[in-house]
Amino acid sequence: MRTNFVLAIEAAGVTKIYKSARQAALSDVSLKVEAGRVFTLLGRNGAGKTTFVRMCATQLTPTAGSIRVLGHDVIREAKQIRELISVVPQEGRPLRALTSWDHVYNWLQIRGAGKQAAKEKTEEILRKLELYEARDRPAMNLSGGMKQKILVAMAMATDAQFLFLDEPTIGLDPVSRRQVWSAIKDWKNKGGSIMLTTHYMDEAEMLSDYVVIIDRGAVIAQGTIQELRRVIPQNIRVDIARDGLDVDALKPYGSVVDTGAGTLRVLTFESTVRELSELALRKNLTFTVSPITLDDVFVYLVGGGIGDDQNGRG
Amino acid sequence: MTRMAEASMLPVRQAFLIAYMTGVLWLQRNPMSLVFTAISPFSLLFVLFVISGGQYVEPAVAGSLVMALVGYGLALGQDISFYKTEYKVQDMFVASPVSPLTYMMGLALSELLFGLPALIALASLVLFFGASVFSIPLLAATILLVWGSMSAMGFFLSSHMLHMRNATQVISFVNVILAILPPVFYPITAVPVELQPLAYAVPTTHASLIIQYIMSGNAPEGWSLGFGFAVQIAYLIGFVALAKTKAIWREN
Repeated sequence: MRTNFVLAIEAAGVTKIYKSARQAALSDVSLKVEAGRVFTLLGRNGAGKTTFVRMCATQLTPTAGSIRVLGHDVIREAKQIRELISVVPQEGRPLRALTSWDHVYNWLQIRGAGKQAAKEKTEEILRKLELYEARDRPAMNLSGGMKQKILVAMAMATDAQFLFLDEPTIGLDPVSRRQVWSAIKDWKNKGGSIMLTTHYMDEAEMLSDYVVIIDRGAVIAQGTIQELRRVIPQNIRVDIARDGLDVDALKPYGSVVDTGAGTLRVLTFESTVRELSELALRKNLTFTVSPITLDDVFVYLVGGGIGDDQNGRG
Repeated sequence: MTRMAEASMLPVRQAFLIAYMTGVLWLQRNPMSLVFTAISPFSLLFVLFVISGGQYVEPAVAGSLVMALVGYGLALGQDISFYKTEYKVQDMFVASPVSPLTYMMGLALSELLFGLPALIALASLVLFFGASVFSIPLLAATILLVWGSMSAMGFFLSSHMLHMRNATQVISFVNVILAILPPVFYPITAVPVELQPLAYAVPTTHASLIIQYIMSGNAPEGWSLGFGFAVQIAYLIGFVALAKTKAIWREN
């Protein structure tokens, strides 16, 4: 599958204004992503992630700007792009009466695979995603997670060079999520490119080579995970149980964030961890120490949790 | 088969595979839907047959066949709307090598499959009530023309609908415009003379007249079989062109 293209995505000044909206869903987005990488879009609901994915996947027309996917222009060369890509749409559902086998096997043939190749690939992907045992059960009799995995299987079984996965693991249990992660890694190892949107920070951190954070339709940060971590001046976080703890008492140690889950998070440096630990121990409070994560970077940049909505269409 | 020949046949194969997925496999697991879909075109036929004491059989059979074809063709629009807004399956097709016309064709074939028992029964009634075996090609051509043009129209309309409910409402409205108001179930002579040009501008009028002609050999003054087919072919070309150039595949 190894791709011959240097850039998977090359976007310049991309703007999208929906007819029914006054505001731009995306505004002047420019970015370049190398091929053969997992590229993740992060943002709150309505930030513009899905809009960007759909424009790149030739499903939606940009209002302004240009996008090239694997070297092809999304407007003038959509046909060439469509030969090279495969998508898992957000909130997609398999057809109720069809089995996982029906979906994948026929989809591969629709995309031009021969019967034997379609059969082999269907078996392979269904086994990988643990759908094979249920291959004869109609989708309506499967769990929500298994239904979601059918769409992932359809996209991943193809010969496409570029996968667009719009929240592919939503609704999946932890085991199923890891199966999908494994399939994504396999895909990347074969040289394929992936554009991923997700609400799960651990997923983004685990899979991404390059992350773009979108907020209110604009790119506010982009880079590798390591590069994004450096956006925050501190490099350690200490979570301390809030019970009776005064926020002001923690402020001298670094930036303090209320996680909303009964703990206060202090973003700090290695040099102050010992003092903070002693403070927590003196007050008999539980605490954990860990490196700065993508979640911290996101909250630092966007100022809210990833589940919070913004006005927009995604 | 050469690679080029294979490539040129791919859209046909794709259309049949889409029809297989959305039609054959569905019916294998839900055979009763075939019965439900087959019964509905006979409702009006039954009423007209009872009311007229069997005297009104030609327009009633012709009208039922045309209405069934309009219904199955336009039902494609409802399916498309459903796959687009509810299942998001259309998003996968848009971002794939499948062309919009191939997708339309596949779903139209699927609809035809659902309607096949009713169409066979109604076509048999046409033959039973007076048509000769030699008129079968004329009947088949009429069926294909109405089915083709209505499918293209259903595809075009549904592509502009953002919500499933809008599609259902618009398609129901078009169904009335094409299958109830024009002289499909009743003779064109019942239409006031000044309104007859309007009736002749509707393709389903000609479909009904062709079927009535096949059954009885009678044609209204000034109308011919050739004229009827010419109008229907023109509409088919027009609707397919509309579906190809003006239907929304990639959203704006």
